[in-house]
Amino acid sequence: MTNTATGIIRALNSGIKHIATKRFTLRYPEEKLKFVGDGYQYDPATGVGIAGLKGRHMLFHDHCTGCQLCSIACEGVAEAIAMVKVPEEQKQNKKSIMPQIDYGKCVFCGLCVDACPFYALYMTNDYELSSFTKEGLIYTPAQLQVKPYVAQDSEIIITKWGATHG
Amino acid sequence: MTNELPPGLAIQKVDERIMTLNVGPQHPGSGHMRIIVQIDGDYIVACDPDPGYVHRGEEKMAEYRNYITNIPHLERPVIHDSCNILYPYVLGVEELLGIEVPERAKYVRVICAELNRCIYIMYWLAIYGIFLGHSTMFMWPAGDRELLIDLMEKISGARVTHAHFVPGGVRNDLPPNFEEVCLRQINYFEKRIKEYAAVFYDNPILISRTENTGVLSREDAIRLGTTGSVLRASGVDYDLRIKEPYDVYEELDVHSPVMKEGDSYARSKIPWLDMLESCNIIKQALQKMPKSGSVRVKLKPNPKGKGFDSVYKRVESGRGSLGCHIVSDGKVEPYRLKLSVPSFRNLIALPYLLKGEKLGNMPSVYWSLNYWPVEADR
Repeated sequence: MTNTATGIIRALNSGIKHIATKRFTLRYPEEKLKFVGDGYQYDPATGVGIAGLKGRHMLFHDHCTGCQLCSIACEGVAEAIAMVKVPEEQKQNKKSIMPQIDYGKCVFCGLCVDACPFYALYMTNDYELSSFTKEGLIYTPAQLQVKPYVAQDSEIIITKWGATHG
Repeated sequence: MTNELPPGLAIQKVDERIMTLNVGPQHPGSGHMRIIVQIDGDYIVACDPDPGYVHRGEEKMAEYRNYITNIPHLERPVIHDSCNILYPYVLGVEELLGIEVPERAKYVRVICAELNRCIYIMYWLAIYGIFLGHSTMFMWPAGDRELLIDLMEKISGARVTHAHFVPGGVRNDLPPNFEEVCLRQINYFEKRIKEYAAVFYDNPILISRTENTGVLSREDAIRLGTTGSVLRASGVDYDLRIKEPYDVYEELDVHSPVMKEGDSYARSKIPWLDMLESCNIIKQALQKMPKSGSVRVKLKPNPKGKGFDSVYKRVESGRGSLGCHIVSDGKVEPYRLKLSVPSFRNLIALPYLLKGEKLGNMPSVYWSLNYWPVEADR
């Protein structure tokens, strides 16, 4: 009986302490978690990537040679990358083809970034990709060129009173 | 042609006292599986677990993809424990291809695996709490799990399904200043999970509900071939991190918890003690890790096995021993890939545990098995 009583008092005591602690929850659309680095990037010389959020891709048109290695890497994974003809008014490469990514299929594994030997493709911190149509999720090379702007500034702060998302 | 129907279609004799109850597959208390329970009043007479509703054909899929593109889909069965399910596959492919992994990569892998073990156990603990009607135990682990997910996000870039382990090391190096951040968050995490004892594990209400329910004896645990927390809760000291150390577990001081009772209280406490041990291992690994160096061996885009060869590797995951058998025939794809998963091996104990229990004890016994339906079905 005493065991039961002390057990319940201990549990209540631990719960009451939490009235004073700060809220840990991240208020998502207003607050966004800060992240290390720019995005997922890969260094073909050392064979190692640079940590970063695996969000939507960014394509550097001046580096892309149209070698299709990203498309081949995606073949067994999601088949999200298709090589498309670049319109004449845009910057051309030798084969005049560039990757077009379907985010309805992409699983954000980053293997295409690992496959690119020319630093042309890397992943950014833009992860809010919803669209009303299926076509809206297909990003053409011109759309992939745009650098996203995402304001992310919250991070986990640990104090004596507990942890919060600052 | 005989009049006898095949066993599945045979009409069962109706007993006036016994009622057959289907728990699942859509019932939230069972996961994506069905438990056919026969009850007499409030007591369970017999029980037949029926998995297979989320079979995805992972093993067959692996035969059509090369050793690198197998990575993203192989971690899907357990997205919370994705590093640990990739671990045996990656170790096996490394042996097939004859790759020597850099020292720093091995430490990074151990840290990731231990973080993932904690992430999985926290998720499991949240579900275990809510199914015992303890809402606080749902909210706290679900919130505190965020500390570890944040660390994994810093390492790999993704919250779940990290696709971080590759044959030849890991995808990327730890971010700068990681040791400090990791140590701070792990210390806080350890402090937090110690608080769970007061609210949950020493709570007389939990103890009265779980103690002496679903007792699995030491002999039965060995005979049925259970692994992981279920085996260790029955008093068998068997942990692959100690018995068959892989990567750098030899150099670390690992003490896996063992309890003798074998009831669902012991089975629910072992994972919690495991988390405390994982925090310990992460701290040791951070200390002993080489401060710089390569983390990945460069491979060809389509690595091939050397002729006909097979390899079996196993690791200790969040639920028990997880094995991967890879057969190569010298092509870019594996000839056969077999996953031996702990969830499926622990499920076999369920009919033995539930016999004679009250129906109200079913959720606590079922979830104490640390069962993950998607992993069991592959």
